[in-house]
Amino acid sequence: MAAPTTERPASAGDTRELAPARRGNRAGPALLTVLTWIVGIGFFFPILWMVLTAFKKEADAYTSPPSLFFTPTLEQFETVFSSGIGPYLLNSLFATVMSTVFVLLLAVPAAYAVSLRPVKKTQDVLFFFISTKMLPVVAAIVPIYVVVNDIGMLDNIWTLVVLYTAMNLPIAVWMMRSFFQEVPKELLEAASMDGASLWRSMREVVLPVVSPGIAATSLICVIFAWNEFFFAVNLTAATAATVPVFLVGFITSEGLYFAKLCAAATMCALPVVVAGWIAQNKLVQGLSFGAVK
Amino acid sequence: MTVTEQRQAEIVPRQPASAGREGWIRRAPLLPALIFTIIVTQLPFLFTIYYSLQSWNLVRPGSAQFVGLDNYVKVFTDSQFRGVALNTVVLTAGAVLISMVLGLAFALLLDRRFRGRGFVRTLLITPFLITPVAAALLWKTVLFDPTYGLINFVLSPFGAGQTDWISAFPLTSVMVALVWQWTPFMMLLTLAGLQSQPHDVLEAARVDGAGSFAIFREVTLPHLRRFIELGIVLGAIYLVNTFDAIYMMTQGGPGTASANLPFYIYQRAFLGFDIGQSAAMGVVVVIATILVSTFALRLIFRSFQTEEG
Amino acid sequence: MADVVFDQASRVYTAGAKPAVNRLDLEIAEGEFVVLVGPSGSGKSTALRMLAGLEEIDDGEIRIGGRNMVGVPSRDRDIAMVFQNYALYPNKTVGDNMAFPLKMRGVDKATQQEKVKAAADILGLTDYLDRKPKALSGGQRQRVAMGRAIVREPQVFLMDEPLSNLDAKMRVSTRTEIAAMQRRLGVTTVYVTHDQVEAMTMGDRVALLADGRLQQFDTPADLYDKPANAFVAGFIGSPAMNLFTLPVSAEGVRMGSSELRLPREVHSRIGGHERVTLGIRPEQWSVADGASGGGDGVSSGVKAQVDVVEELGSDAYLYAHLDDDAQTAVVVRTAGRSGARRGDQNVLTPTSDELHLFDADSGDRL
Repeated sequence: MAAPTTERPASAGDTRELAPARRGNRAGPALLTVLTWIVGIGFFFPILWMVLTAFKKEADAYTSPPSLFFTPTLEQFETVFSSGIGPYLLNSLFATVMSTVFVLLLAVPAAYAVSLRPVKKTQDVLFFFISTKMLPVVAAIVPIYVVVNDIGMLDNIWTLVVLYTAMNLPIAVWMMRSFFQEVPKELLEAASMDGASLWRSMREVVLPVVSPGIAATSLICVIFAWNEFFFAVNLTAATAATVPVFLVGFITSEGLYFAKLCAAATMCALPVVVAGWIAQNKLVQGLSFGAVK
Repeated sequence: MTVTEQRQAEIVPRQPASAGREGWIRRAPLLPALIFTIIVTQLPFLFTIYYSLQSWNLVRPGSAQFVGLDNYVKVFTDSQFRGVALNTVVLTAGAVLISMVLGLAFALLLDRRFRGRGFVRTLLITPFLITPVAAALLWKTVLFDPTYGLINFVLSPFGAGQTDWISAFPLTSVMVALVWQWTPFMMLLTLAGLQSQPHDVLEAARVDGAGSFAIFREVTLPHLRRFIELGIVLGAIYLVNTFDAIYMMTQGGPGTASANLPFYIYQRAFLGFDIGQSAAMGVVVVIATILVSTFALRLIFRSFQTEEG
Repeated sequence: MADVVFDQASRVYTAGAKPAVNRLDLEIAEGEFVVLVGPSGSGKSTALRMLAGLEEIDDGEIRIGGRNMVGVPSRDRDIAMVFQNYALYPNKTVGDNMAFPLKMRGVDKATQQEKVKAAADILGLTDYLDRKPKALSGGQRQRVAMGRAIVREPQVFLMDEPLSNLDAKMRVSTRTEIAAMQRRLGVTTVYVTHDQVEAMTMGDRVALLADGRLQQFDTPADLYDKPANAFVAGFIGSPAMNLFTLPVSAEGVRMGSSELRLPREVHSRIGGHERVTLGIRPEQWSVADGASGGGDGVSSGVKAQVDVVEELGSDAYLYAHLDDDAQTAVVVRTAGRSGARRGDQNVLTPTSDELHLFDADSGDRL
């Protein structure tokens, strides 16, 4: 080769590892991270405080200034349990699970019809579904109360199941529809060519593909059903009342005992919070798919 | 073989997919959900209209008689109703907008890779998961309480920790609790929007010489528009119906200073037992909601189409 | 194994609109490999999908083995299809994907395993049977799609642009594999592509469609040598045939200011037309150095100046324009590394007697 080289010959003892060059202002991103952490903890703080207070003795909770150091105790939780939160938990569980099951049974076929085999006017039907959500529930509560009373279904958990199903159906249809739209049309065509009837191709091909969507939708339904208060407080009494109703009742009976209240509130919120944490990714997926489409 | 001859007869589609038996088979899966929703949500509303035309008060048995549009007149001349309607608008609009702005800010903070990102996101979404009554209780006692609340504690070094927040600023207190609960929802939506931005467009903007702020304004915000719109619509739907927070924190008081329409109607119906009047209010609210939301929804669906089109 | 007949088959989406497939007539023999080729929007995919049962047959008939398929759903047609994007079931393993059609037809487990194994052996998929599609490369997925189709031993194979998602090299090797496999299995195959090279190399016969209409249905050689109209002539062959629409002169055609003389039999085909479209393939030119000022007037060649030279190793293509008319482009094939350069002046003479003439208005072969 004619051209002279100007490289330094690689030194025999050069054993340094290559590392990416450090570039730019390193303080900026780090600062931003710190800020984000502060925001996160700050936003979460009320909950943290609530849970901490739940473990305090009443005396420690009712101090001014608020006390950070205390000896934890479980007595508040014991009190909550002994005030009979059990049946309420069961009621909430039942209403939540059953209504979510029904919502899925109704919403999945509906979303399928609207997205994979659309007919004229499907847009209008979707529109209609969303609009049912917009009508303020209060407008219908009186006749609902009257009807429920007349058929003797007051204070019956099934009433809540039906109402929660109707309450969550529009959102479920909306979300499932966007998940169904993700299924490539070719997949169904291939299944059809392979000899699968409509039912079988749904079961073997489509449902497995949309199962994350079903999980996300279920989670949203669970959240809204468990946390629902208005219908529960107006349409149930001793037998069918749910956990939010218990909480309100607990306040009136216990007055302003912070620690106890926090314990009750924590127990009230715990199941859904834990479910939400575990299935967090599904939740994000569900909400974002609702938006992306 | 050569080119086929052309015949004059026109070719007509064999059978449009939406007509006839095929069309109904396609529609069938939709029917159970549709019928169920109509029965449970629409029928009661028809009854409400019926009740609204009667002066029926449960306290006075046998008082149910047809009075035509009397109740509606009373609704519109009820000064409390107007105040409450205003509260509803302020509360809903305020909560939606503030939580959207905060949500967007949080989403921007989360839209980077950093250590513990998943954990921080978990922290930030939790308020949305908490039962609204529990959250309202939390704000009322632990935070806002004049003597033992955290907020006054934090403010006392600055000499301002004496206010009884809930009595002094009832509507605002409720709004704070609502914003706290709904910001995560807005955050998740906008985060989805931020993360679905096409990377190559962003890179092209950088190469074209745009700085971060310009990129945000020219590329990101337009892309986020439909996520933001969706968040506003969904958030408004749920927030307009706020009941739990008001019930728990202020019971609508003092007077009706912090009552919104759902709570006010509830008071009239379940505490005042005035079925006719509350029904009429319900109808008015529904009509108003339909008007506003038809407008808003058309906006949303149109923006979906323009994005794809 | 069966023959396939398209009999005036047509598809239109809304009444009064232009048909996507317009009275298509094709007779495909048993065991034949036929390629449907054409530009986008030509209706080739639609025709395939009509055969598959994925599109309605609005008029005419399509018969498989003599049986009319109008109104017959896909799963009753005993056909198998390989989709452009493969359409593999994402939640099933390769083995389950391939077994699926057998499962749907109620075949017992043992036979399923047997047939899947046989197909996997042919396609080299035996090691991948337990993987899921997302763990496979594009080429492997394509083979799974083919496996799923052959497992059924159907009467007809349909393939909708199966190679278009593969990189260029894979395309060439897979092309030969598919052709070899078809010959081995002997199943009637209808293959759709927009790539005329695939069409020419793979098909026993090729049907060229444009605008929903059949342009020509012939062997690749006949399509190349005897194109039925100007469209076919311009579509088949790469680089495309040179097509010039020129006024007729006494002994040939006028190209610019020179007259290009045509052989007597060629000229006689023109008949009474005043203008004609002349087709000359790039390899039908001979190139002579034109730097020396030749006489103009009646000659047997035209002067052209080279714009771009494409060297391909053994061949080279010269993209030139006529001296007389800078708008008219000419493509010429020469031997590679001939030293041709941009700006060269050449005299181009058509060499062969097999020049193509088409009606200037209708495009039909004269």
